[in-house]
Amino acid sequence: MSSARREAGLLPARPDPARARERVLVGLALPALLLLGVVFVWPLLRLLSMSVADGSLAQFEKATLDELYVAVLWDSMEIAALVTVICLALAYPVAAWLVQAGRIGFLLGMFFLLLPFWTSVLVRTYAWMVLLGRNGVVNRTLRDWGWIEFPLPLLHNLTGVLIGIVHVMLPYMVFPIYAALLRIDPDLQRAAEGLGAPAWRSFLRIILPLSLPGVFAGCALVFVITLGFFITPALLGGGHVMMIAMLIEQQVREFLDWPFAAALATVLLAATLVIYAALSRLTGGQGHAAR
Amino acid sequence: MDLTVRGAVKRFGAVTALAGVDLDVAEGELLTILGPSGSGKTTLLKVVAGFEVPDEGSVQLGSVDVTLAPPRARDVGMVFQNYALFPHLTVAQNVAFPLEMRRVPKAERQSRVAEALALVELSGYEARLPRQLSGGQQQRVALARSIVFNPRLLLLDEPFGALDRKLREAMQLEVRRLQRRLKLTTLFITHDQEEALILSDRIAVMNAGRLEQVGTPSEVYARPATRFVADFVGESNLFDGIAGPDATAEVPGLGRLFLAAQAGTPGARVTLLLRPEALRIGGAADPLANRAAGQVVETVFLGLSVKLRIQPEGGPELLVRLPLRPSEPPPALEGEIVTVGFAPEDVHVIRQA
Amino acid sequence: MTSIRMTRRAALAAGLGAAALPAPAFAQSAPAKPDRIVVNASGGAMANLFRRTYNAEFERRHGIRVVDTSPVDFGKLRAMVESGNVEWTVTELGGQDFVRAKQMNLLEPLDLSILDLSRYPEAVRDTHVFPSSVYSTVLAYRTDVFRDGNHPKGWAEFWDVRRFPGPRSLRNHPVDNLEFALLADGVPMDKLYPIDIDRALRKLTEIRPHVSVWWTTGQQPAQLLVDREVVLASGWNGRFYELAQRGAPVAVEWQGGSAKQNAFGIPRGTRHAHWANQFLQVMTEPRLQAVYATELAYPGLHPDTPNFVTDAVKPHLPTTPANLEKQFWLGVDWWTENGQRAQEAWNRWMLRR
Repeated sequence: MSSARREAGLLPARPDPARARERVLVGLALPALLLLGVVFVWPLLRLLSMSVADGSLAQFEKATLDELYVAVLWDSMEIAALVTVICLALAYPVAAWLVQAGRIGFLLGMFFLLLPFWTSVLVRTYAWMVLLGRNGVVNRTLRDWGWIEFPLPLLHNLTGVLIGIVHVMLPYMVFPIYAALLRIDPDLQRAAEGLGAPAWRSFLRIILPLSLPGVFAGCALVFVITLGFFITPALLGGGHVMMIAMLIEQQVREFLDWPFAAALATVLLAATLVIYAALSRLTGGQGHAAR
Repeated sequence: MDLTVRGAVKRFGAVTALAGVDLDVAEGELLTILGPSGSGKTTLLKVVAGFEVPDEGSVQLGSVDVTLAPPRARDVGMVFQNYALFPHLTVAQNVAFPLEMRRVPKAERQSRVAEALALVELSGYEARLPRQLSGGQQQRVALARSIVFNPRLLLLDEPFGALDRKLREAMQLEVRRLQRRLKLTTLFITHDQEEALILSDRIAVMNAGRLEQVGTPSEVYARPATRFVADFVGESNLFDGIAGPDATAEVPGLGRLFLAAQAGTPGARVTLLLRPEALRIGGAADPLANRAAGQVVETVFLGLSVKLRIQPEGGPELLVRLPLRPSEPPPALEGEIVTVGFAPEDVHVIRQA
Repeated sequence: MTSIRMTRRAALAAGLGAAALPAPAFAQSAPAKPDRIVVNASGGAMANLFRRTYNAEFERRHGIRVVDTSPVDFGKLRAMVESGNVEWTVTELGGQDFVRAKQMNLLEPLDLSILDLSRYPEAVRDTHVFPSSVYSTVLAYRTDVFRDGNHPKGWAEFWDVRRFPGPRSLRNHPVDNLEFALLADGVPMDKLYPIDIDRALRKLTEIRPHVSVWWTTGQQPAQLLVDREVVLASGWNGRFYELAQRGAPVAVEWQGGSAKQNAFGIPRGTRHAHWANQFLQVMTEPRLQAVYATELAYPGLHPDTPNFVTDAVKPHLPTTPANLEKQFWLGVDWWTENGQRAQEAWNRWMLRR
């Protein structure tokens, strides 16, 4: 009765609870959005404007055409891609294990995953140097066991850099995949098995496709964050590995050439966005369907 | 027998989910495991499907012992409570999944999928994704997927719980028709006694990890083997009493009741079941051997029938259900004193262990 | 413009101070005392030593607390001065930055009526930059690998991998390395500048396969030698001194060392320029400089400082005459002018495989 009258406009419109709730949520998100605007969007715009401050595109010309910067950018992308692939290979089983682990196992896994975040980057990196050096713990142990005669080159090369970065990046890959796996109804696995699928086939056909959004999120995070590394590659690479963030840092800190640093950073950002867009197109359809 | 379970025991820590279950399901039969939540029916289903291995006992499909076989080797089709459709696969891909896993050639796969979808009246929905379907449609897809590979056994795990009443009743009948038509040996799990009575060839009532009674719906309803079954299936008046001589029993508050047969050695403790529809009031009660006077405490109008609660002085409350024709006035009003009676044949005696 | 504004602000601050707290007559020449000043320098071991020497002495003399911050950051200095929000009273200036700091007008002029530099060598006296100490990039070697004085004496021998085999480490930076390469190539010490970058890099290409680590932080070469990752390395003399004090088999060859001064300055617009000069004056104290030199092997430039250093320490100091004559002074002006170009050439060279 009253609803009919309200529809006919006889009763004053009641506030729609769904709309009200939406407004509250937007209100709650506002401080975070403002903060993001102030600490992210604004500096980004300043960065862009700084790179063209002299009214010409000369800085961009150098950043995109000079073979030094192109080569280093390319190397950085390669390293980031390698780190992403290694992280993915290591993180997926860990995430799958965490999903079915008991309480103790879960807490223990979390502890070890988050351990690198509780130490400073320098301490962590020096710890790897102690472990991976020619006379480091790893090589000494392998030699003592008679597995190797000459020390393995684990440090001051690409291997060392990869180990150091993968160590820190692993949680960024594990958590999104873990979250995606957790969202998958365990009955789906049972259904697949009951319908005749061996474990590996139910994984490939059901679990893996459904976890792709997590895989994609993890890959994007790891790839993008890795591009910004400069301390770890400088120390563990022994000068043999150069990444674009190291060059940007050099321009900022040592030469105060902020316009050129801004141009380099902008090119890096653009390249990252392009790759991100390409990746999300590649997996986007699947990711959406699995939502 | 198509499915044979012998002495199945399953414990989870201190909890015994199955306390020794024996069960036989004949070929083409629809047997329902009926029980409250926590009675062990889901565990029994998992043991049959292969998701759990029993601590003791065996599971046999046909003549093959599958106690230790993984689910994929059992050839059992299962419809899950929430359907467990693969959300990223289309309807056709979902239904084709078991065929794909059995490496059925593609052409045959397509025709069998079409056939299965036609059976559940979903032809034309092949390209949809599960989330684009209604709950009833999703259920049909799940059903098609679980029968498309001609399984030995179909398992239905409370499949109608998520549907509204009207749709549920329609789906129940559809599943029943399909099961009969395809002669599918089916194990159906539910806690809904009404559903069990409608659908089943036989019902196994489960309680605390044991089967209390296995029988046809009418057997289970009319001649429950235990007090639990009597109470769980249908509405009931249950009295505790003492068997007397000459086919009588003494019930506190109701006095001596006449029965159709001797209830046991005189002096034995017995439980008497009286279904509400067996009672009559007023004039209709006069010719009946067992009678009492009582006050109508409550009347509930149910459309086709009316339910009365009648309180005899000093005795247990009686639940009475009387058929009702639209033109008739209510048989009694609240507060009225009426005679209530029942025939000796309508009293079912449950012997106490 | 800016400088006028700064003075006005300083005057204003002083005036406010005076208004709030009538200054006693005897303190008329010195501005009001703040409750603290901020000294920004490299952290770590150096900060500890600062606290024990200069900071403690300043607090004792003037009753003003010294707060220490780190790290040394040229970009931050520039940002502070340009935004007019200068947090530091005094700051260390890393590497060759002091020349640029002065050029970019980021420093207050030194008040030589407070800061007495009259006894300092003419060559290091400056209007804006205080030369706090001297350090040197030197050749270090493992004494258990190269015994009995049979170690590379200078960079030509560092380059000689046949006579002195083993992995080496150099800094991943053109500063010093270009000079070392030219010395190895036979250029006399007084003819290094202007540097022929191409020639230096050509020479570096020869040694490159034998450089297993291009170090980034000052701690690295010391650690690399201790861990036997390398047997020869370039590095800052203080780091090797510390190793030798701890008994590690590491020693230093002064021949071809690249000496340079550590510098402090007063950020332009600092609130307490008077006390900044007073702090630097404390830093000229020979007794304290000697403590600093004894602990870190980075001697100050007051001519009396060596008198307070024991003979055991003197061979480890870059300013000891016998050591000083083996080294060259880094061409700070050349690097200020050509640093970015050299760095780019260096990066390009590093990238070549």
